[in-house]
Amino acid sequence: MSSRQRKVSIAVFAGIVIVLLVAVALTGHSGGRQETIREVMRDAVLHETGRINFLNIKAVNPGFISAVTVTVVVLAAALVIRIFAIPRFRYVPGKLQMMLEEMVSLFDGLAKSNSPHRNGFLGAYIFGAGIYIFVGTLFELFGFQGVTTEGVSIALPAPLSDINGAIALGCLSYVVILSGGIVGNGLRGVGNTLKDFSLPISMSFRLFGALLSGLLVTELVYYYIQLSFILPVVVGVLFTILHALIQTYVLTMLTALFYGEVSEPRQKKRAGD
Amino acid sequence: MNNIPLNIDFQQIFLHLLNFTILTAGLYFLLYKPVKDFMDKRIAYYRDMDQAAETKLSEAEEYRDDCRKKQQGIEEKLMEQEEEAARKRLQADEAELQKAREQADKIIQDARAEAEREHEKILENARKEAADMVTVAVEKLLLESADSEVFDQFLSSAEGSVGDE
Repeated sequence: MSSRQRKVSIAVFAGIVIVLLVAVALTGHSGGRQETIREVMRDAVLHETGRINFLNIKAVNPGFISAVTVTVVVLAAALVIRIFAIPRFRYVPGKLQMMLEEMVSLFDGLAKSNSPHRNGFLGAYIFGAGIYIFVGTLFELFGFQGVTTEGVSIALPAPLSDINGAIALGCLSYVVILSGGIVGNGLRGVGNTLKDFSLPISMSFRLFGALLSGLLVTELVYYYIQLSFILPVVVGVLFTILHALIQTYVLTMLTALFYGEVSEPRQKKRAGD
Repeated sequence: MNNIPLNIDFQQIFLHLLNFTILTAGLYFLLYKPVKDFMDKRIAYYRDMDQAAETKLSEAEEYRDDCRKKQQGIEEKLMEQEEEAARKRLQADEAELQKAREQADKIIQDARAEAEREHEKILENARKEAADMVTVAVEKLLLESADSEVFDQFLSSAEGSVGDE
């Protein structure tokens, strides 16, 4: 392509973009009640209004609906894999088998390297937590819709952008670490775990803060229709994928690290030491 | 409940816990455990294979050592046999040589005896011929002279010469 052709192509592309932006600006109108950006942000954090009925039993935050959806989807996929793929595993693996083995090896290896003395339960736990965080964070990319108790359609967020979900996972991780301490070192293990009393709070709010920030940026971008071109590819897709990877790694690594620390058998000091 | 900051709802926290527990248990039984079991099985399979190969290798090395020892034994035995054969060959050669020498000695002795006999025989013949010639000559003389004294003198001298020889 010559320099002149390139300039013409760029000019045509810029012209199309400008025409579309003008069209968007001229045709935009509010359909029903229009929330301000402040209300949107506040609701994303507090969920005071945008709640969804869970099986007509209780109005819950959208994050919980996302969590249940993620659980159903992941378990269904796992069931299909268990029935159709795992019985056909070979000693020389295919692509799917290699991917599954790599996933299991990743978390199993993480558990073994950080907690060499006791890692059976830890491996299973961080495998579940890792899958949950990763798939749950990517879940917001799909834009599944839910209807609030007020009849408004909203995109379901990542499960862990709900403070309750983040607290649940953070505290459960702390309980798992505590259990490792008890099993490995008894009362001394409990002491070792309890001295890091800020751990459940830091783990919970690290997750919540990381995922909420992604949610808020996404809400901000999508609130203004003029920002809905190109930019969502970066903030929506790339940031979400990065978030998913980083948060999965951080929580599983921290849990394995602390678990290994508190469950490590204490060596008796020698007389000369 | 509404007084808790950030709208934290304990009921929803427990719901999240329940949901996550179900997910983790399900993933453990459906995915984590079967895949890990399979990987452990494969590790055990290749470990067994490796051990079997090591056992076979050690057996092969032992067999090789045995073969080397046997080969060494055979070589030593072969060398002994060669030395024995050489020794026997040497003995046989010496015996043959001795036999040849004995034969040669015997031939020489026989030849000497034969020569002695021939010599005796020739001498006897010569004596006889000489005696005959002398007899003939004497007879001629006697016939010519017819002297008995001369004849007797001749006979006594002839007997004396035969006794000297």
